[in-house]
Amino acid sequence: MAETIIQVAAALILGAILLGVTRLVLGPALVDRIVAIDMLTIISISLIVLYAHVSGRFVYVDVALVYGLLSFLAVLAIARFLENGL
Amino acid sequence: MLQLLILVVCAGILVSGLLAACLKNLMAAMVSSGLAGLFASVSFLLLAAPDVAMAEAAIGSGLTTFIFVYALRSASNGAREP
Repeated sequence: MAETIIQVAAALILGAILLGVTRLVLGPALVDRIVAIDMLTIISISLIVLYAHVSGRFVYVDVALVYGLLSFLAVLAIARFLENGL
Repeated sequence: MLQLLILVVCAGILVSGLLAACLKNLMAAMVSSGLAGLFASVSFLLLAAPDVAMAEAAIGSGLTTFIFVYALRSASNGAREP
């Protein structure tokens, strides 16, 4: 049962990465690409946590934590730039 | 399934690097290069190097994009004034 859940989660993450990269490549406007990179960041956090569970090394959860704390910084800077702030 | 995920992450590095080199809009190229750093960090972690992945996530994906945005803003301000 747990194996099935992990397989389904990996398949969902795989599909989400493919969809996000597709939107990044196709996206006509800049805002589409920014939202795509924000989505891909969150998907990679979930991928790291899934891999931490699969490999049994829970040091990897710390990496996911640092990732979640720092990943909003770039999106915030770009958003401020688009609003002529910074 | 996990090996397929590793392959997809490596393909993501390739696609976002190509996009960063080919896009005309500088801001979109910056976003794509940040995404290349993000996928590289994930692949470092999948290759069992969590400390390298943490440094890459902090510097390569976060700080570099921030500095690029700051530099582009300074450069476009300087170009607009004269």
